[in-house]
Amino acid sequence: MTWVKPLPIVTPESQPFFDGLREHRFRVPRCRSCGSHNWTPYPACRTCLSTDQEWVDVSGRGSLYTFSVVHVGPRAFTQDGPYIWAFAKLEEQPGPLIVMGNLIGLDHDAVEIDMPIKIGYHDVPDHDLTLYHFEPVTHDI
Amino acid sequence: MGFPSGEVAIVGVYTTEQAQNHTRGGFDLEREALTGALADAGLTLADVDGIATTRPVSEVPGSYDPLYFWAEQLGRRPLRYLGSGLPAAALGKAATAVAAGLCDTFVLVHGKSGTKINPAKAGLPTSAPRVGAWSETIHGASRASWYAAWARRYMHEFGVTSEGLAQVAVDARHHATLNPASIMGRKGEITIDDVVNSRMIASPLHLLDCALDSDGGYAIVLTTTVRARDLRARPVQILGAGEGVYIDYYLNLPCPLFPPEGGAVRAAANTAFGLAGIGRHEIDVAGLYDCFTITLLRDLEEMGFCELGEAAAFVKDGNTRLGGAMPTNTDGGCLSNSHNGHPGGMHVIEVVRQLRGEVTPRRQVPNARLGVALSQGMSVMGGAGVLVMGVE
Repeated sequence: MTWVKPLPIVTPESQPFFDGLREHRFRVPRCRSCGSHNWTPYPACRTCLSTDQEWVDVSGRGSLYTFSVVHVGPRAFTQDGPYIWAFAKLEEQPGPLIVMGNLIGLDHDAVEIDMPIKIGYHDVPDHDLTLYHFEPVTHDI
Repeated sequence: MGFPSGEVAIVGVYTTEQAQNHTRGGFDLEREALTGALADAGLTLADVDGIATTRPVSEVPGSYDPLYFWAEQLGRRPLRYLGSGLPAAALGKAATAVAAGLCDTFVLVHGKSGTKINPAKAGLPTSAPRVGAWSETIHGASRASWYAAWARRYMHEFGVTSEGLAQVAVDARHHATLNPASIMGRKGEITIDDVVNSRMIASPLHLLDCALDSDGGYAIVLTTTVRARDLRARPVQILGAGEGVYIDYYLNLPCPLFPPEGGAVRAAANTAFGLAGIGRHEIDVAGLYDCFTITLLRDLEEMGFCELGEAAAFVKDGNTRLGGAMPTNTDGGCLSNSHNGHPGGMHVIEVVRQLRGEVTPRRQVPNARLGVALSQGMSVMGGAGVLVMGVE
């Protein structure tokens, strides 16, 4: 099926992030001057306005801060039924590192605030692009 | 030097017909609202020398800016003050400009028709739209989904139920039934059961937890209180104002969502009440932005009318309903009157009409002398404008 959900325009500024997704790494900008993480990416650090930011990997582990099961939304998303739009708090620095995405792989009734989740990755069909989502943490036996 | 409390007054207000789907264009609504508000004041187009608009882009393609558009459209007179910000913030800042003599007659004008907030109104695309790298649309965000996520975390942290949210919609509809110009008033009263049993839009928000997605225009005119005494309507003086902007809308969510120090609304309200020298308890009537039921609950807390987590009880006790301590959104608000795309000015206008004492008797707050209006965006965290108003 043709992918009809919006896709990012990748620019030189955002290229390292999408290169990371391709390698299944979630990267966020960190300020070299003051050490603050800055998600979502912005031209300069929100704490000290330094433009000296580097892309660093984070673990991708976190917890579900909040979510909605969306029944009426963009048609590209609702055509397969209700979907979960969520915010995850990543474990590295919970405050500013809140990340938006779709939570998949769970029965909607089983989704609970503060449950552990992790970032997962999916390739977009017919596009040379990998995007991220959230998924439940599967426990090793 | 202080805020020119009482030196500037709202002297003209006008609302066009509000409708789910207007047959007229946005500019036509702006034009009617502008001339209507001036007529309400007893002023003319020739008096206007300051303006603000809610438009992000001009009516005319290639135009430099929506405010420059108005400078040309109004006959190439020099406009002496161009406003900015959410409606209540734009009015507050314009009051300081009028008091200082930067301009004499300021008009805030809004008109919107056609474009819809609900993304389901657009069809299924045939190919993937390309958007900015961090766009919410990549993840299927909608306005309802943002407020739903806020509502879910709020309900989780403070033990508030869907019924607690629903009371806001019930009260808004009750007020709308007393406002013949409202879109939903003619449909009659609703109950809490009606709200929680209406279809789910984005859980936990049901259809009746959501504002209308309507069209309409309005305009508001300011001039000096000295001049206002010779004009048609009872002047509604601007006593205090404040603005607060914390985050860029719809890119990210602040975390934690409910910091005790508050966000944009708290900052704007503290400024406005502080400059006015008025306590929260003195307010007779309020117009608070209510794009969803959750929004009004958070407004009440961040404005300082009740404590964090207590707004549902405050509403349930009847404080915000006509007959209560601080009737709020007595026109039906965004939930049942109109959400015309930039409805912050509608809340100002309803407070003005209440303070003038000109609404129908069953809707009128008796002896209303002090009122407050809140315009905001991105829940209570993002951006806010607060206007404290009074009559002598």
